Amino acid sequence: MSQLELRDIRKTYPGAHDETLKGINIDVASGEFLTLVGPSGCGKSTLMSSIAGLEAITGGSMVVNGVDISAMEPRDRDIAMVFQSYALYPTKSVRENIAFGLKIRGMPKDDIEREVERVADLLQISPLLDKKPARLSGGQQQRVAMGRALARRPKIYLFDEPLSNLDAKLRVEMRTEIKKLHQRLKTTVVYVTHDQIEAMTLADRIAVLKDGELQQLGTPKEVYDTPENLFVAGFIGSPSMSFIELEIERSEAGLSVTVEGSDGRKLSLPVPDYLANWVGKRVILGIRPEHISQPDNIKSEHSLVASGSLTVEVTEPTGPDIIAVIRLNGIDVHCRLDAEHPVNWGEDAELMFDMNKVVFFDPATEKRIRPN
Amino acid sequence: MTDVVRRGVRPSRIAIYGVLLLACLVYLIPLIIMLITSFKTPMDIRSSNLLALPTDWTTIGWTKAWAEACTGVQCEGVKGFFWNSFKMAVPAVLISTLLGAFNGYVLSKWKFRGADLMFGMLLFGCFVPFQVVLLPMAQTLGMLGMANTTPGLVLVHVTYGVAFTTLFFRNYYVAIPDALIKAARLDGAGFFTIFFRILLPMSTPIIMVSLIWQFTQIWNDFLFGVVFSSGESQPITVALNNLVNTSTGVKEYNVDMAAAMIAALPTLVVYIVAGKYFIRGLTAGSEKG
Amino acid sequence: MEYRQRRPSGVARVSSGMMDSLQRWLPKLVVAPTVLIIGIGIYGFMLWTAVLSFTDSSFLPSYNFVGLEQYAKLMESQRWLVASSNLALFGGLFIGICLLIGVVLAIFLDQRIRQEGAIRTIYLYPMALSMIVTGTVWRWILNPRQGLEKMMHDWGWTSFSFDWLVNPDFAIYTIVMAAVWQASGFVMALFLAGLRGVDSSIISAARVDGASLPVIYWKLILPSLRPVFFSSVMVLAHIAIKSFDLVMAMTSGGPGYSTDLPAVYMYATTFTRGQIGQGSASAMLMLGAILALLVPYLYSELREKRHD
Repeated sequence: MSQLELRDIRKTYPGAHDETLKGINIDVASGEFLTLVGPSGCGKSTLMSSIAGLEAITGGSMVVNGVDISAMEPRDRDIAMVFQSYALYPTKSVRENIAFGLKIRGMPKDDIEREVERVADLLQISPLLDKKPARLSGGQQQRVAMGRALARRPKIYLFDEPLSNLDAKLRVEMRTEIKKLHQRLKTTVVYVTHDQIEAMTLADRIAVLKDGELQQLGTPKEVYDTPENLFVAGFIGSPSMSFIELEIERSEAGLSVTVEGSDGRKLSLPVPDYLANWVGKRVILGIRPEHISQPDNIKSEHSLVASGSLTVEVTEPTGPDIIAVIRLNGIDVHCRLDAEHPVNWGEDAELMFDMNKVVFFDPATEKRIRPN
Repeated sequence: MTDVVRRGVRPSRIAIYGVLLLACLVYLIPLIIMLITSFKTPMDIRSSNLLALPTDWTTIGWTKAWAEACTGVQCEGVKGFFWNSFKMAVPAVLISTLLGAFNGYVLSKWKFRGADLMFGMLLFGCFVPFQVVLLPMAQTLGMLGMANTTPGLVLVHVTYGVAFTTLFFRNYYVAIPDALIKAARLDGAGFFTIFFRILLPMSTPIIMVSLIWQFTQIWNDFLFGVVFSSGESQPITVALNNLVNTSTGVKEYNVDMAAAMIAALPTLVVYIVAGKYFIRGLTAGSEKG
Repeated sequence: MEYRQRRPSGVARVSSGMMDSLQRWLPKLVVAPTVLIIGIGIYGFMLWTAVLSFTDSSFLPSYNFVGLEQYAKLMESQRWLVASSNLALFGGLFIGICLLIGVVLAIFLDQRIRQEGAIRTIYLYPMALSMIVTGTVWRWILNPRQGLEKMMHDWGWTSFSFDWLVNPDFAIYTIVMAAVWQASGFVMALFLAGLRGVDSSIISAARVDGASLPVIYWKLILPSLRPVFFSSVMVLAHIAIKSFDLVMAMTSGGPGYSTDLPAVYMYATTFTRGQIGQGSASAMLMLGAILALLVPYLYSELREKRHD
């Protein structure tokens, strides 16, 4: 069990103007599964390479179990990594691939054998042990790559987009498998991905990165329900959150905003009281597809719920749901509708807005307006 | 459908095969002439023509070329020079390939400041006409006491071959994903361990290319041989040229051709056995960057 | 887990610290010999030759500088002028004919030919031979009394006469013949590799559009092989400028100095006639010729890469 602290990690590539990492602070608890997520170029892979020791950092420090590892060579850090391309040694058999790191560390032969067997059992790759990587399927290679990391029993595991070379079905299967494995072994894992669903499903906590800066660090639920800023809000969730800039109004019933459908119909939506200071000012409303649904009797009793009839522009059935697109204030907004009550595009549908869970952002800072 | 297409195409197919086979003949005829002439007697050569088969097959040309023919002042055939070429080529090929492999490894996987400059210098080095280094090299070999020696020639061939071998290996290793090196580093492997245990076992094709390219280049070299060696230390190409150009006595074309065959055989054998790698070397050599 | 603890960690730390700095220096250490021999053997010596070309060195190098005198002398030397114009003639014909033969054979060979491997092997084997061997054979084939001429007479064409090898006006063409024989198969191999790299869906698309095969080759495929074309020209030009062996084996520059090339001139002046300054100046001009070809080539290569 190992704990990893990243303190103010900075990295500037030689000859580059901008910092790739602009002071990252993350504490990873022992046994925690942390995912680093962000668009390409956000610095997540650089951060991962820095933790592994493959890139030298230009500032800050990395501490594992109280020991500063910032200046150590990769092999002394006792960190294992699973690569996107798997990076299996092509001339070595699966067995030799798994054993290589142990051999280099001078582990006795018998122990190596036992360790390889253990890992092979764990990942169900025993029948493949004497094959060369080129003869394995993508999924099998992926298992071997994980086996190579597991065999070393390192302090920390790094996964660099390990599933992105697999086809969709296998990706979901392996995702479950990784989760099971982690729940069983309780290892400390840092997992990089650009796929926010992968990040959400696997993580104990998610770190969202953009432009070398940490945008938010929190549990999947925190990141999903209370995104710190516009970027996180837009990045996490699929279909993504819709943003509408509008003005907070006060009426007898309380605070509200007004949206306008594609045919000019207006609809007044109640908003929470913490926006009292924003009356008359513009805010950005962030609304997720599931916040707009067909009216349901229980919910419509709640406060901060409003309904209205709007024109459906596009429908995208996904099976369990129908994702419908409506236009509010000239912006496409996704709604998640029940597949049992189909709607057709071009027709009006009675929609219910649950404003309890929507979020609001300050247009100037793009930060979420917190309820106080 | 296929039948119709085939029938329509047929005359042009015949023309294509005709041209290709004619070209085969053109490329083969000099080799055939060389072979049949080498097995003729001088009498036979005078009375028959180039493509006529020998009336009496004889190996006298070969034995004479091997052990008796005059290559300048001495008349001991080309055998000594044939072995000279091996003594020169084998170490030069091995050393330049080893250096090239290391350089290629560093230039692709352990880039340091100035690595690109070094690469550029090597690239340019492949194009430099050797005439601009001949005299200083002769002087330097003299100062090192290596003038007219086989080790001197080895040094020369390593110096001017390492640019090519480095490019071969560098271009080969660039295509190998960096993740492999990173994985090995995390597994605890260092600079040499990664090279010898991970990269080298993957390098068989490019090692073959480098060995064959270098062997062919060095064996076939004439310029360095004629400038940096004399008398006993000369390689086979220089000896062959001396033999052919020795003007004393009657011209014995059977001996000339046998000597030429002897000089050509090692590289021809290599080409026939490992032609695939030879062609890869040629194409790689032309692409360079 | 246990095996790691067997090693006293303090000791491991110290030695690994030393190892680390060694590891950091290893890459540079490993390339150092090459940097040294290339630095001296190519760049140092190039400079040395440049220096010598400005001196009046004769049998031995001297460092008595005479400015551009050697170059001026070179320009007045009838022999150098013949060598240079021979190079232009030889190089132009050699490159042109090799390209023509190479392209045609490559396209023909790309038509799903039976025994393609064997045919390719035959086209390319001359490239494995020493130019001295090539020269020796062609000298025998083209020799005026017993070679080709005699064969034609034997076959009944008694008026056939072919004395180019000993005719000062035509001897250079015999060198072209032998050189083309040696290198054209190589150009074929380059173009064949290029053709194999062409996306076959382009051909399919053009066929669907109704283009005939010759049109497809001429308008679509050959233009896409521009890089192959350039690298072939580079390699052939390089062979031409450096070609020395073939001339030495076939004519030794004769008759007279009618088949001299710059490389032969450089060798003769430097090593047999004892005019080191003159030889160095000629070597520098050869380098200049290569640079004149190389710089635009590299420039266009780099520019293309930047476009990607």
